[in-house]
Amino acid sequence: MTTALAADPEPPRPRPRSRPQRLRRDAVRYRWLLLLMLPGALYFALFRFWPMYGARIAFKNYIPFLGIDGSEWVGLDHFQAFLSNPDFTRLLANTLIVAALSLFIAFPLTIVLALLLNELRLQILKRTVQTLVYIPHFLSWTVVVSITALLFAIGTGPLWTFLSDLFGTDANMLADPDWFRPLILMQMVWKDTGWGTIIFLAALAGVDQEQYEAAVIDGAGRWQRVRNITIPSIMPTIVVLLILHTGQILNTGFEQIYLMSNSLNRTVADVFDTYVYFAGIEQGAYSYSTAVGLFKALVGLVLIFGTNWLAKRFNQQGIF
Amino acid sequence: MSTSHQRFNTRAGRAFDVLNVALLTGVGLLAILPFLYVLAGSFATELEITTRPFFLWPEEITTSSYRSILSSDVFVRAFATTVVVTFVGTLVQLGLTALMAYPLAKADLPGRRTVLALVVFTMVFSAGMIPTFLVVKDLGLLDTYWALILPMAINPFSLIIIKNFFQQLPPELEESAKIDGANELQVLRHVVLPLSKPVLATFALFYAVGIWNDYLSPLLYLSDTSKWTLQMILRQVTAAASLSADEMATDVPPPAQGIKFAVVVIATIPVLLAYPFLQKHFAKGMLIGSVKG
Amino acid sequence: MFESKRIPLALAAAASLALTAACSDGGEGSGEPLESLTIMAPFFSAVPPEEDDPIDEALSELAGLDLSVQWVPNTDYGSKTNTVLAGDDIPDVMVIQGKDQSFVQTAEAGGFWDLTDHLASGDYPNLVTENAQVQEASSVNGKVYGVYRARDVIRTSVILRQDWLDNLGLAAPETTADLAEIARAFTEDDPDGNGQDDTYGLINPAWSGIGNGSPYDAIETWYGAGNLWRDEGGELAPAFTSDEWLQALQYERDLVSGGYVNPDYATMDPATWNEPFLNGKGGIIIDVQSRAVELAKLFKEQDPETYDRYVALVGQLDGPNGTYALPTAGYSGFLAIPRSGVQNEDQLEQVLTALNELNTTEAQNLMNHGIEGDNYSVVDGEAVFDPAKQDFTDQVTGAWAQLGTNLAGYNAYPIQQETEFDQALNQLRLDLQAEDVANAVYNPAAALVSPTYTTSGAQLDTIIADARIQYIAGQIDDAGLQAAIETWRSSGGDQVVEEMNDLYADLN
Repeated sequence: MTTALAADPEPPRPRPRSRPQRLRRDAVRYRWLLLLMLPGALYFALFRFWPMYGARIAFKNYIPFLGIDGSEWVGLDHFQAFLSNPDFTRLLANTLIVAALSLFIAFPLTIVLALLLNELRLQILKRTVQTLVYIPHFLSWTVVVSITALLFAIGTGPLWTFLSDLFGTDANMLADPDWFRPLILMQMVWKDTGWGTIIFLAALAGVDQEQYEAAVIDGAGRWQRVRNITIPSIMPTIVVLLILHTGQILNTGFEQIYLMSNSLNRTVADVFDTYVYFAGIEQGAYSYSTAVGLFKALVGLVLIFGTNWLAKRFNQQGIF
Repeated sequence: MSTSHQRFNTRAGRAFDVLNVALLTGVGLLAILPFLYVLAGSFATELEITTRPFFLWPEEITTSSYRSILSSDVFVRAFATTVVVTFVGTLVQLGLTALMAYPLAKADLPGRRTVLALVVFTMVFSAGMIPTFLVVKDLGLLDTYWALILPMAINPFSLIIIKNFFQQLPPELEESAKIDGANELQVLRHVVLPLSKPVLATFALFYAVGIWNDYLSPLLYLSDTSKWTLQMILRQVTAAASLSADEMATDVPPPAQGIKFAVVVIATIPVLLAYPFLQKHFAKGMLIGSVKG
Repeated sequence: MFESKRIPLALAAAASLALTAACSDGGEGSGEPLESLTIMAPFFSAVPPEEDDPIDEALSELAGLDLSVQWVPNTDYGSKTNTVLAGDDIPDVMVIQGKDQSFVQTAEAGGFWDLTDHLASGDYPNLVTENAQVQEASSVNGKVYGVYRARDVIRTSVILRQDWLDNLGLAAPETTADLAEIARAFTEDDPDGNGQDDTYGLINPAWSGIGNGSPYDAIETWYGAGNLWRDEGGELAPAFTSDEWLQALQYERDLVSGGYVNPDYATMDPATWNEPFLNGKGGIIIDVQSRAVELAKLFKEQDPETYDRYVALVGQLDGPNGTYALPTAGYSGFLAIPRSGVQNEDQLEQVLTALNELNTTEAQNLMNHGIEGDNYSVVDGEAVFDPAKQDFTDQVTGAWAQLGTNLAGYNAYPIQQETEFDQALNQLRLDLQAEDVANAVYNPAAALVSPTYTTSGAQLDTIIADARIQYIAGQIDDAGLQAAIETWRSSGGDQVVEEMNDLYADLN
């Protein structure tokens, strides 16, 4: 995969005659940059790629006591076990739906909130609200879920009362499969929208103020300034985040879903991550969970390169 | 800076402002309410927590939850350790990330795409707990604080975002510095980094929070109890809500709700306090101002 | 922010020097006699004991070896265990919490000492079990890999609102039919006399898995469905394939459809189990006896004068098919001895001798109560704790008690109860235990570890646990329930049954 990428055309530059010559010339020309990159490269080699050599346990029946080399090779058995699971399609569908909620609803809301915050004139209010909305990020899912249980307690919870009047239902929303996704989305939005704005606010802080002043002189209204200056200036950030998000599409955040699932909503709640937890981690089956991790990585890579390619077609910066 | 904005505000614009203030105030309240409940609960008696469903002000205020956590030397030591590790770790991680992001932002650097592809690969695939543990062990980092900092030193996600910010800086600034005889390191230090304060502040926050909240690394890498960080001490209390039936069979009563709430407060407040310091840099990051200065 | 770069770098360098100070355990791996005993154990207390802990010193003296305990937060004990096994710095003794895949595979690959003969030899009198059945249950297919940590065999009980029973003139239940009638009365007959229809009978929380002490498991056992597995003429069969199990489910479904159970039974967080009982919403809890004590304590806070009117405790209920009690496994994990730390028979003997010493009455008092004359004193043969040293006492019971095995009997001082009511409640617990143990239905397959179950047991159990709740909720009917059992069979269940029966035949 990586070699295929490296073969993509590089920006044109003067080509010296032979390869060693070119290498030497580059090394001299870019010596400072290469030196700056060295610590990072070392980091990736040591802590990211060296352990990957251990990922061969995906093809073995790994028993910690025997060590990686002492464990027996089983080839693609673990991959097969995962892919041939009768529930595979259901798990895939559930996972993609949760990912879609996050990508198409939660993510845009983050941008909207950042833009609204940016339009706040009252500095003190702006700072206060910024600080407040990012607090929920620090509450663990355990706490968020228990607060949800409190708010949606059947018969007594304030939100349950409100919603049951609104929709004329007396169902236990925490157990009802139809309510599972709305609840998950609500929690997602509540917990991380504020936190997500931080990165956009940093991008917005970099916008050239003179552009606004010039636009005002040209008679541009509020909305026009947002559309023509603010949004284009954070577009690169949006695109990059979007690309990186798609790479995580099969990772749904295990803890939230695990804590929110129960016997009555499991048909819609089960995702890859919860399934692997039961099948793998809880049982100490590391080979199996590593195999699933590899599979998800493969899908993630394809998606990242795909969306990156798309972004470039639409003249966006992309990540490469 | 906003005088010109106000002068040219239309009536619709003013209506929007009012709505926006109302809406965001609401959003802010919505975000903080549950936390206030946690805060109130941390000062309430166990009986009140079990009998009142939701409250923002306890009828009877008690500090017993805090006393039982704070009374121990272990806690105070773990707290101090965590502050130091977070501070040092954030500097190390942010430094390494910025150093690597800068060369990668140069479109003409040979091999850049290969490196980026490898970085992206590590973002979607991590080798897992045991292989990483074995590497940390082989490097002799077990039971050192570096084990909490180095294995997660560069977050690929942060690296890519910072790289993209660097890419958006006007190239003329660097060119002029280079004409003045600056090398790349000097350009990075005197031109690029000062211009990137907002994004660096953002990722300083991300890294700091990452180290602050990390419990898996101390769990796996530190056997020596005296080196434990705050999360190792707190984890026990917060996670106990999901005790399985089998664990309950030990007849140890689960920790009181009040203590759980107090733990959440203690773990959250320091990071909240750090935010305004970083927020300051967000506003200061106006490009033109720095260029002119 | 990067202007003054030198300072943080210097700071980092200083920190590295100060912090990298090594902590390597004395290089083991030789066959030399052990000088210290490293034990890895979970803890429940707020903070773990320190190296200079007085209990550590006292126990080291008893054991004749310098004790060094690696405390691990209980919640993440499993992850830590697996990484420790992967490394080469393995403790001499490890608390193993359950027979999960990684433990069983490691043990079968020879990673732990097989203690079966050593423990049976009688060389270590304090490690000879007083309940052979429990020791076998803790084994892996008959091989004992650890010294089990004994727990009460009878814990299941029914806890009711005594004041509600009194208000309605009802007696405590003796049969499952009584329980259903009380649940109905608690729902429909206004047990709190406030004139409002705001109460229900049974309080059930959400529960994952099967055969792990849920209220549903208790009712099924009372109905005669057995305990996870049944021996049907020498053949093992899962409890949920029996008619009695189905009968019990119908009983549970009737309770739910009648509205006699809390409406959020499928989602209620078990951590909030006490709340409806305390707040007068629900009146019946089927759970461990110690919950009655917890509840009585909370009532005491709420109503210090007449707190003794609220809690009624009864044991097993007679079902329509006979009298059966649901026991626990009788143990909670075990202390296993890895071969990579303890390399030869001599060292093993040293470790077992130390463990033997750690199971004397003196050691039991240290582990369960603390230091006599410091945080507790003995009055009339009972331990009385010093309230001023509560934090220390909590640490002892939350950490050191985890090292206790007590398999040859628990001889530490009984704890003095605060009031007459507490005393009576405690006595009642003991009486109920003595009574119910005679009817205990043990899991005949407790010792058996089937390979298929170790890899996919959690998923298989979830199929049945979900189907059970869906059936009770009325989401699926009898056909749906049978379909779920079929799914269980085809997903590996049949294989589990086959493997279990092979192992069962080998063992007996």
